[in-house]
Amino acid sequence: MTELTIAKALNAGLRRAMEHDSRVVLMGEDIGRLGGVFRITDGLQKDFGEHRVIDSPLAESAIVGAAVGLAMRGYRPVVEIQFDGFVYPAFDQIVSQVAKTLRRSEGAVRMPVVIRIPYGGGIGAVEHHSESPEAYFVHTAGLRVLTPSDPGAAYRTIQQAIACDDPVVYLEPKRRYWDKGEVDLAADVRSGDPWCSRLLREGTDVTVACYGPMVRTCLEAASAADVSVEVIDLQSLSPLDLDPVAASVERTGHLVVVHEASKTGGLGAEVAARITERCFYSLEAPVLRVTGYDVPYPASRLEEHFLPDLDRVLDAVDRSLAW
Amino acid sequence: MTSIREFALPDVGEGLTEAEILRWLVQPGDVVAVNDMIVEIETAKAAVELPSPFAGTIVELKVQPGDVVAVGTPIVGIETVAAAEAPSRQAVLVGYGVREESTPSRRRRGRRGTDVDETAAAPADEPAPAVAVSAAASEASPGVVKAKPPVRHLARELGVDLNRIIATGLHGEVTREDVRSAAGSGAPPAAPSRQAPRDERIAVHGVHRAMAEAMAHSARTAPQVTEWVDVEMTRANQAVARLREAWQGDGVRVTLLTLVATGLIRAVQAHPLTNAAWVDEGPALQMRGAVNMGIAADTPRGLLVPVVKDAGALSLRQLAGAIQGLVDDAREGRSTPADLTGGTVSVTNIGVFGIDGGTPLLPPGQSAILAMGRVVERPWVVEGVVVSRPVMQLTLTFDHRVMDGATGSKVLRAVADFLADPALELLVDSR
Amino acid sequence: MVDALLGSAVQLLTPEGERVEHPDFDITLTDAELRSLYRDMVLVRRLDAEATALQRQGEIGLWASSLGQEAAQVGSAHSLRSSDYAFPTYRDHGVSWCRGVQPMEILAMFRGITNGGWDPIARRCSLYTIVIGNQVLHAAGYAMGVQLDGADEAVIVYFGDGATDEGDVNEAFVLGADYQLPLVYFCENNQWAISSPRDRFNRAPLYQRAAGFGFPGVRVDGNDILAVMAVTRMALDRARSGGGPTLVEAFTYRMGAHTTSDDPTRYRHAEDLEIWRLRDPIERLKVYLARNGMADRSYFDQVDHEAADLAVLVRDGVRAMAAPAPETMFDHVYVDPTAELVAQRAGLIAYEESFAEGLTA
Repeated sequence: MTELTIAKALNAGLRRAMEHDSRVVLMGEDIGRLGGVFRITDGLQKDFGEHRVIDSPLAESAIVGAAVGLAMRGYRPVVEIQFDGFVYPAFDQIVSQVAKTLRRSEGAVRMPVVIRIPYGGGIGAVEHHSESPEAYFVHTAGLRVLTPSDPGAAYRTIQQAIACDDPVVYLEPKRRYWDKGEVDLAADVRSGDPWCSRLLREGTDVTVACYGPMVRTCLEAASAADVSVEVIDLQSLSPLDLDPVAASVERTGHLVVVHEASKTGGLGAEVAARITERCFYSLEAPVLRVTGYDVPYPASRLEEHFLPDLDRVLDAVDRSLAW
Repeated sequence: MTSIREFALPDVGEGLTEAEILRWLVQPGDVVAVNDMIVEIETAKAAVELPSPFAGTIVELKVQPGDVVAVGTPIVGIETVAAAEAPSRQAVLVGYGVREESTPSRRRRGRRGTDVDETAAAPADEPAPAVAVSAAASEASPGVVKAKPPVRHLARELGVDLNRIIATGLHGEVTREDVRSAAGSGAPPAAPSRQAPRDERIAVHGVHRAMAEAMAHSARTAPQVTEWVDVEMTRANQAVARLREAWQGDGVRVTLLTLVATGLIRAVQAHPLTNAAWVDEGPALQMRGAVNMGIAADTPRGLLVPVVKDAGALSLRQLAGAIQGLVDDAREGRSTPADLTGGTVSVTNIGVFGIDGGTPLLPPGQSAILAMGRVVERPWVVEGVVVSRPVMQLTLTFDHRVMDGATGSKVLRAVADFLADPALELLVDSR
Repeated sequence: MVDALLGSAVQLLTPEGERVEHPDFDITLTDAELRSLYRDMVLVRRLDAEATALQRQGEIGLWASSLGQEAAQVGSAHSLRSSDYAFPTYRDHGVSWCRGVQPMEILAMFRGITNGGWDPIARRCSLYTIVIGNQVLHAAGYAMGVQLDGADEAVIVYFGDGATDEGDVNEAFVLGADYQLPLVYFCENNQWAISSPRDRFNRAPLYQRAAGFGFPGVRVDGNDILAVMAVTRMALDRARSGGGPTLVEAFTYRMGAHTTSDDPTRYRHAEDLEIWRLRDPIERLKVYLARNGMADRSYFDQVDHEAADLAVLVRDGVRAMAAPAPETMFDHVYVDPTAELVAQRAGLIAYEESFAEGLTA
């Protein structure tokens, strides 16, 4: 086991995937010589060459649109969108083409495209650098959506996403890039299954479901709580794996869903609906959501009030138990 | 007037958490102006120089080249002249500020007054008022029963019509207890549903869940051995009949269970290991003086095991009364938690279900449980002749960590011998 | 190499501060006007330096430096009439400065207390747009409005060389050409899109792209404020008179990092900086003013003092700039707040108050 940051774990995972499959190519703005603005691709152009680690023009639609063509030609493009708020120029290509090509071609053309997007807030950034766009992609049939929460998961799931023959929107929790954790670099993880939730902390009173940057927040909340909180990392946002959540709710009777993204139409609503359908007779309280508010992501000096934190998670835990 | 001000390591690149000190560009004693470069650092993204936020004299370098320093750590002390500004918190990161504690903990909350407005149906992400349910909501339209889904489920299971229940919960909510007491009082059953057959997953709660968890724990942890023996019950039946007759007017109801329990108590007293509990720490055996006899009872809530405390100190008559009282309490939902805990050994009567025998699982914390099957006429060989006799199968499960097979066998044999001729055994004992 | 690239660029003031003639472009300015240009460039540079330092001290979250691009920004913005409208990038502090946007208004966004900072209608200068190239289409639409109104106004939109990769910018070129809009596309070619050198994605000079869309393109020495003004004035006059759009490529250099989060030492050589330091836009105007007796030492000293005062004002102002109340995040999401937002706002206030001391019953 090696201690790495999420950033370094992603770098190691990308390197491993490129070593394994020569048809894996990376493309994005500033990913080559600079190594990406978050240094996720640091050193890869030096080792794999400019033809496999491609510095793209400053044009997101071009990046994703070209990835479609590369995939048609049999490559496995892994493209980087520099920040969450800059994915929208490429939204058309993602929703209209990446997601639908397999179906339109009746299975003839696969889209093994990975679209890496640093997402989420909490870094004191200017506008468009702190957004959580996952609901748009989860809502789009044909896309898979993954988000790792720690270095080990990052190392595994980036390789599994690249090995997947469906397109994957791979959301990287940028405020957690520098979190450290143990990674088993020796393990061959490509064939593993990333499309599952992870039970990260057992508890008996309340279930908390979360993902990406909120996982650490919820684990810290569980540690600080005076009741027993079970924490589940959803990890795969599409498809959702709610079996562990349902099993947990059947034991605890209480569920709190936590995400940074705004509340209305967010993942929390989907989780709440499905769990209510499956576990209606186990619920001692409605499924509660702790989310960002339904406002544009605020200026950074206000983001601590927008982002769910330990206190807001525990507040919801208390409210659920007191219902 | 001078004061020493500290400069805390800022986040120079959007969300970075630490940086390595590369080199100091100043030394203690150096005089610096605002924005003079004082230190070079390297983050995960870049190597940059930091300018001094103050004019003054460097008095202390708090970190050394090569140190990896967390954002927010004071790195240098600067003596400044005429500090008009209060030495307030130094900015570190937009929207953040210096983290005051390393381990995240909960913010302390002011206690709420009771005069907090009750807001109807507060959005889910807002703090609940001290009283969580609004008056408006409690005055729901007539005909709408307020009950949580698990309570509704319980009502359905027990065949209770929620509309006919007197709600005693907060703001008119129907509680589990309301449903149970309605079930016990024979409230009219809900109309039978005519739904099509369907599969469903039903949450397990309460007694059922406690049973499931206890049994799974038991099966996982204790190496359990089961032995069985058939007992000819002619004399035992006679003894029960005689005792019933004798105590008829006193309201004491003697059953076979009373005799079986008596037999088990006597066997436990003869073999104290049966009353011990295994302790992982050590490991050790927890020897227990009193025989607290658990009596498994089938109740509307499910399987309950009320405990007769210090059963060994009771006369047969007292024991009969105690069992009867506890079982009645359990069936009617009056058991207190104390009634249901502290058992050291148990009896379960599966014969009442028309069953011959079976292997019970040990309740947690106990090392032996005895199951009694039904009493049924069977061919029985008496001095070479096959005759029909009432026979019962006794099954004993014991914890093989606590006692070996010989001890377990002796216990079961002792119970069987007692039941084969209870009067003789009692007489022998009283000698 | 720089000289080769600049070969076709309009220049009226050499890097050495010598006034030269150009066959197509000329400009006549009073001494006071020339001094004013110098003063604005010095003050904008000081603002930029102070903001960079404040970021390194943790007082602002990010800063996009305009260092080296002062002539392109100040020169073009000085060419505007007050009735004209400007669409800057997030690096155009010289443009916003000249439009009357106050330093604290510029810094508010980087301090993280707003995503705007000023009233774009009052300043006739739109807010900084962070998504690359978006504002170029907005400018085209605004110019369509000017055209529909028949107003005697022009619109100028700023963007970097990197933005010319984006679909938005090229689509805005189509609109401008198609409708002959009163619009000046002002591209500050500072040679770097973060780490991507401009010559990588442009095999032909940027200004030549205009021809393919059907309007004129001019390359100007972006560090020569006189040339920038001469060319921009021509383009604005052309726009106001119904002549249609013009692409101005101001050839300059990003002397700083992309932003304070960037580390240019990873991808470019120090020698390039040395070459461009010799082409500094402020120095060449200073030499020209001094050599021709248009300003003396006392004037330069006075401007330096003014810059030092500005630095103190910026420093103190930024430090004093407090975060607004949390519930202000619910303001202006809609013209009239929705019921859901009203409830969420009340919830946030109640939640924050629940931590207050002295709430005990």
